[in-house]
Amino acid sequence: MGIQETQYDGGAPARTPEAGTGVVAIGLARSFGTVRAVEAMDFTARPGEVTALIGPNGSGKTTLLLMLSSLLAPDSGSISICGINPVDDPRAARARLGWMPDTLGVWEELTVHEILAMMGRLYGASKADAAARAHELLKLVKLDEFASRPARVLSRGQQQKLSLARALVNDPQVLLLDEPASGLDPGARIELRTLLRELAGRGRTVVVSSHVLAELDEMADRAVFVAAGRTVSEQRVDDAGTRGRRYAIEALDREALTDALEHAGIEFTLPAGTRRAAAVVLLGSEAEAAALLRQLVAAGVAVVAFAPAAGILEESYLRAVTTSSDPSTRPTPAEEPRP
Amino acid sequence: MSTSTTTRRPDDEGRGGERRSGSALGFWAGAGTVFQLESRQRMRSRGWYVMLAVWFVVTALVAGLAAWTAGSEEGFGQVMFELVIGFVLFFGLLVAPALSANTITGDRAGGTLAILQNTLLTPGQILCGKWLAAWVSSLAFLLVSVPMIIWAMTYGDVYLPAVPVLVLLTAVELGIACAIGVGISARSARPLFAIVASYLVVALLGLGTVIIYGLSFQLVKGTAMASEQIWPDDPWDDVQYNDQGEAVDAHGEVIEDQEAYFAEIEEKAVMNYDGQDFTCGKSLSRITVYHTERNTWLLAANPFVVVADAAPVKPRAAADDYYGEGPMEAVSSIVRQSQRGAAAMDPCLDGVKQPVVDETDLAGTAPLWPLGLGVQVVLAAGLLESGRRRLRTPVKKLARGSRLA
Ligand SMILES: Nc1ncnc2c1ncn2[C@@H]1O[C@H](COP(=O)(O)OP(=O)(O)O)[C@@H](O)[C@H]1O
Ligand SMILES: [Mg+2]
Repeated sequence: MGIQETQYDGGAPARTPEAGTGVVAIGLARSFGTVRAVEAMDFTARPGEVTALIGPNGSGKTTLLLMLSSLLAPDSGSISICGINPVDDPRAARARLGWMPDTLGVWEELTVHEILAMMGRLYGASKADAAARAHELLKLVKLDEFASRPARVLSRGQQQKLSLARALVNDPQVLLLDEPASGLDPGARIELRTLLRELAGRGRTVVVSSHVLAELDEMADRAVFVAAGRTVSEQRVDDAGTRGRRYAIEALDREALTDALEHAGIEFTLPAGTRRAAAVVLLGSEAEAAALLRQLVAAGVAVVAFAPAAGILEESYLRAVTTSSDPSTRPTPAEEPRP
Repeated sequence: MSTSTTTRRPDDEGRGGERRSGSALGFWAGAGTVFQLESRQRMRSRGWYVMLAVWFVVTALVAGLAAWTAGSEEGFGQVMFELVIGFVLFFGLLVAPALSANTITGDRAGGTLAILQNTLLTPGQILCGKWLAAWVSSLAFLLVSVPMIIWAMTYGDVYLPAVPVLVLLTAVELGIACAIGVGISARSARPLFAIVASYLVVALLGLGTVIIYGLSFQLVKGTAMASEQIWPDDPWDDVQYNDQGEAVDAHGEVIEDQEAYFAEIEEKAVMNYDGQDFTCGKSLSRITVYHTERNTWLLAANPFVVVADAAPVKPRAAADDYYGEGPMEAVSSIVRQSQRGAAAMDPCLDGVKQPVVDETDLAGTAPLWPLGLGVQVVLAAGLLESGRRRLRTPVKKLARGSRLA
């Protein structure tokens, strides 16, 4: 796996879906009173792909998704959902999009099936169609055994699944999910991933926001990084491509390890705040990694661990947020560069 | 998870976009679904049934207590009926804001409003569905009071033409109170604010109008010249008595058949009596009058006035026959009296004889309730419209400190 990165320079997104498909947002800004929640965001999501929206808490992900989902009007900038401007024609946009909010709202006294059936009817489906669709969706998210229970008894994870099913009620072309995986157990996360991949496989545009990077690694085709209300970078997660991945190396003797790395002429950092004698190096390819390991072992360094330092998106995330101007979004632990 | 279950309908592919676009959800289909969402939730909460049961017990107590006080007095059915109506209206106005003012702020707080707004529903459909749901639930309170109304009707003297009018207008007033609550709810960010504000507006109609009417008396105060009333001779005045208390004739002779004589006088007195048969004296004195014909309209928007004023009144044998007058009729006659204003306050204004009118005679006074109902409808519609604006999406201006989701 590798990453192909496009750093933003404020212009239009590098890859724009064909007119009339997916999600394209350019130059979005939105403030609430004096709080500038979204300052300058460009966002593109293509049909057939899962696009991850990644950023720290308070970076404006939810605000961006609210604008994309036609609920919030941007102060400036333009949005296109399947070629429709949601500010001009919100109803037409809504017919094509499904939105899962990060706050879970449920009608507590209604049963799980009723909620989905009612939602279906709010998209104009007939009573019978809506009921059938509700059954289908409950099977899809594995909530069918809870169909006739009141929504208030569901656990958080189950409510999350219900919320996801609700977002799918109108079989949307564009699916906007705000932190869909929070509260899900590992099994359900894998199911979510499979479902989203399949939806993308059927040509849907899927947008997933999160601040938990590990859960996006396997599911996203592309990632858009935001920090402090701005798009920081946009990148494609590819099977092949340019490399650049950090490896954490642990050894019994720290001195020996650093000496050997200096000798090999490889730049490294020693992450502060860990007890371990570990060094982090940036390597261009897996072949380079194998070569370095061989070299270290040959040099007599007692290597106990040699592995990628973080998930592929975490890599880019850290790079993205450290280069952004806002100091509050800098990652911790801080890294102290060494020669 | 498998997506194979998400089967697509055959016609889906080709015109998928068009099929679900804007116009696919009819107004009543959408409002009806919102109505169902609301009502089902309410019908499943225990508190709702507790409230209805308490209501039933309290109205039964009021009716029972009234019946017990009156014993088996005849002509009491009308009083009891109007008492139940007045009571249902009073407590209905207390319940309606509670039922309606939280419908939208509650959804806002619970995160379900944004979900509704993200469907094909228009703000009008959301408001309409929620309003109808609140109204229908407030009508349940009227329905629970029906046994008491039937009880009153068993007394047999209830004036039937008034029954449907009183019941219908009570229902309309509850609908207006619910519309006020829903409109304010759509406008407000916080549930507590919406509930308090709705109560205040309903109280403004119910109590505020009366208070303002009372205060406005200072503004309609005036003076008028009045003279005393002079009544024609009363046959009894001419009867003369001797020292023994016996009636005597013009010559001082004791009249033989005293009883027949008294009966003759009495007959003459009754025959001659006429409430209008007086003249006004020539000497005028300054008195204070209130031109209530100018400020009675302030009472128009009062829900009790609207309901009472709209109801037809049982024709009475005599002007001063108050027997069997219920509370609603009393409200109505007070208002009509007030409408007549200063002219009705003194029979001899400016030395000119004023016609004495029967209090329950509606002739000469215009009904006030159409004005009142009109004011209420305009107020409720205004609040609903401003609520509708707040529900429009995409949202441009968000209330301070509130989030959409
Ligand atoms: N309705 C609002 N009123 C005021 N500030 C808001 C509102 N919504 C969001 N914000 C602020 O905007 C910033 C971005 O919020 P949000 O989009 O929710 O971030 P994220 O979803 O990335 O965690 C935060 O600082 C938040 O406090
Ligand atoms: Mg968020």
